[in-house]
Amino acid sequence: MRALHIGIINVKRMLRERSNIFFVFIFPLAIVLLVGIQFGGSFAPVIGISVGGEGELTSAIVGALEEDDSIELRRFESSDEVVTAVERGGVQAGVLLPADMDTTVASGNSVEIGYVSRPDGAGAQLQSLVASAIAEVMRPVGAAQFAVVETGEDFDETLQVAEGIAEGTEPIVVEVSAVGEALFPATLGRFDLGASSQLVLFVFLTALAGSSALILTRQLGISQRMLSTPTSMRAIIVGESLGRFGTALVQGVYIMVLTLIMFQVNWGDPVGATLILVALSAVGAGAGMLMGSVFSNDQQAAGIGVMLALGLAALGGAMFPAELFSPTMQRVAHVTPHAWALDGFAELVRRDGNTLDILPELGVLAVYAIGLLGLASWRLRVAITRP
Amino acid sequence: MGAAFRIAAKDLKLRVRDRSAFILGILAPLVLAFIFDAIFGSAATGTGLGLDYGLVDDDQSQVSAAFASVLEGAESEDILTVEVYDERAAADSAIGDDDIDAYFFIPSGLEQAVFANRSSTIEIVGDIDSPTSTQIAASFAEQFSSGVASAQLAVATTAGVTGSPVTPDFVDSLSQDPAIAGRSFDLTDRSAETKQLDASTYFAAGMAAFFLFFTVQFGVNGLLEEERDGTLARLMAAPIPRISLVAGKAILSFVLGLVSMTVLVVATSLLMDASWGAPLGVALLVVAGVLAAVGIMGLVAAITKTPEGAGNLGSIIAVILGMLGGTFFPIGATGGVLSALTYITPHAWFLRGLADLSSDAPWTAALPAAGAIMMFAVVTGLLAWLLLRRRLTR
Repeated sequence: MRALHIGIINVKRMLRERSNIFFVFIFPLAIVLLVGIQFGGSFAPVIGISVGGEGELTSAIVGALEEDDSIELRRFESSDEVVTAVERGGVQAGVLLPADMDTTVASGNSVEIGYVSRPDGAGAQLQSLVASAIAEVMRPVGAAQFAVVETGEDFDETLQVAEGIAEGTEPIVVEVSAVGEALFPATLGRFDLGASSQLVLFVFLTALAGSSALILTRQLGISQRMLSTPTSMRAIIVGESLGRFGTALVQGVYIMVLTLIMFQVNWGDPVGATLILVALSAVGAGAGMLMGSVFSNDQQAAGIGVMLALGLAALGGAMFPAELFSPTMQRVAHVTPHAWALDGFAELVRRDGNTLDILPELGVLAVYAIGLLGLASWRLRVAITRP
Repeated sequence: MGAAFRIAAKDLKLRVRDRSAFILGILAPLVLAFIFDAIFGSAATGTGLGLDYGLVDDDQSQVSAAFASVLEGAESEDILTVEVYDERAAADSAIGDDDIDAYFFIPSGLEQAVFANRSSTIEIVGDIDSPTSTQIAASFAEQFSSGVASAQLAVATTAGVTGSPVTPDFVDSLSQDPAIAGRSFDLTDRSAETKQLDASTYFAAGMAAFFLFFTVQFGVNGLLEEERDGTLARLMAAPIPRISLVAGKAILSFVLGLVSMTVLVVATSLLMDASWGAPLGVALLVVAGVLAAVGIMGLVAAITKTPEGAGNLGSIIAVILGMLGGTFFPIGATGGVLSALTYITPHAWFLRGLADLSSDAPWTAALPAAGAIMMFAVVTGLLAWLLLRRRLTR
């Protein structure tokens, strides 16, 4: 009972701290939104284009890119302006069309189209998108050039033949499916991927930030004074753990409920998702408790906390999908509780898993939680009773 | 002024012994830059992404061999690995064993369908837990399909012009390889010629700028700590001009920021091959950046009452400016309002200045960005100075 009160007081302290309104409630929401915008679907990436001069091919390529709904095309006056826009981040990639494309291809040469992109992830993806759109337009041209060499006929006439045939061709269709299933499940919602990653990141961040409250409690001698009342050491330790746990849980429930309501994020089986959140909060509570008992300087703890929370999240695949890690990095990722929690959420959403399916992930998280809480309880006992 | 330096020196000693400034100013940004570079760096280059694919070729034709050689080409460039399986069952179980992320299945009759201009299919079967790798596999196949379509059209056009039917014999009679028909254009990636930071430098610079705003807080917030602890009243009773007290804390902030930035620039250059650019230009940006951080955090200290309040508001502002300034991920690329908002932060100008210095630009390339950062420093610094002076002399 006393332990529960200590826990509740701790959660209240967290909620009353005004800066936490920002860090716990506003900031995670902003990040989910921002990541959704960055990597999501419906906010189309902007591609800049400059043309060296007017011509049939030029307008065909511009038209093809304009028709593509997955990108937004913006025209610039010169190639320098496109390059500057890419450098400054106004557009994500740029296409630089040369002058006299029509005469170049008519004389049998290939045209050199420039491409510039930002060094972040989307560059390669956009390049293949642009390349396939241009390839579509240039296909009859290439065919005509080929036929001209073979037959020696006039380029313009051959091009007309090629364009006539091109309309009736059947390309190879690429079909994607998952093992044992007819179709690959539709891509996750725009916010789905971001939401579980952000949940894992912020639950841990908030739990580690909670360590400074514990340090303050110790610094001010509150724990020692509690010992002089009929409160057992056990109650203090359990209570402080409950406080950290409650803080992490509040953060997690907030993100889960909010993303569910605002963005209709699919969290899968509710029981399973809740269990993962509870287990993850317990791991976070253990880590926060451990830091709170080992450090005696809350500024040091805050610095280490931010570093650990962001570093582990990155390593655990909460910032970049772990499936793209190298095998070594994937093993490293699974040293973090983050990776296990994310695996659990993925199992629930992608495979429509239930609680039974995520037992391994829950088990690993439970081991982490028990280990960290046990270690932390021991250190806290030492820290409080040390003269 | 002597008093100001003595106060700064005393506080510096305290901060060095306390180690918090070391953790926030050097350790945290360095460790995080390392981790981010290790994880995101491979995404930027497109190699070492751990893409493991399988190939089941039931067609055993020239077309399917061409596809296999496309994959092998990508394998030799370290983009992916490809394992050939005799039958689908083996590939299916390889996915089950997590040996591969996805496999390509080329059904028999693909080549015939291509020659006869009938519809045909390449199947991608992916691991449900590797949706991104599977998507990448699909885009490989689509690129190939686009190439085949070009070759197909080239053959058909030639046949159309000469009036002969498309048969294997006709294809053999051609003097060129139809695959070249897709090469009527080259999409050349010229991103290397643009002035942008490479991944390592970006993460190093982003983290350094982000944590700089926390590091300088140790200095300016000291004034509020002295106020809380009652030592400020005693200092004010001493024969020291009151303004020296503010100057002392500002100097400490500046020194802490400068030392942390210098260590980070040197350490990331040596340890993770970050290329910051012309030293003089970098120095200008760093000095301007540290001054801006001191100004902004000084202003925060001036408008808050307690060191805790200043710490909290300071962290909020540092996090907002850092995010908006694109220190974690480039914000400008999202387009719209955000790409304009990013330039209300000194962080964005700092990163832009470094980008301007890239590809061996002279140090003067950093001048516009350094000037913009100095604007932040002067405006916020002056405001902070006026507010703090009023607070001390009242």
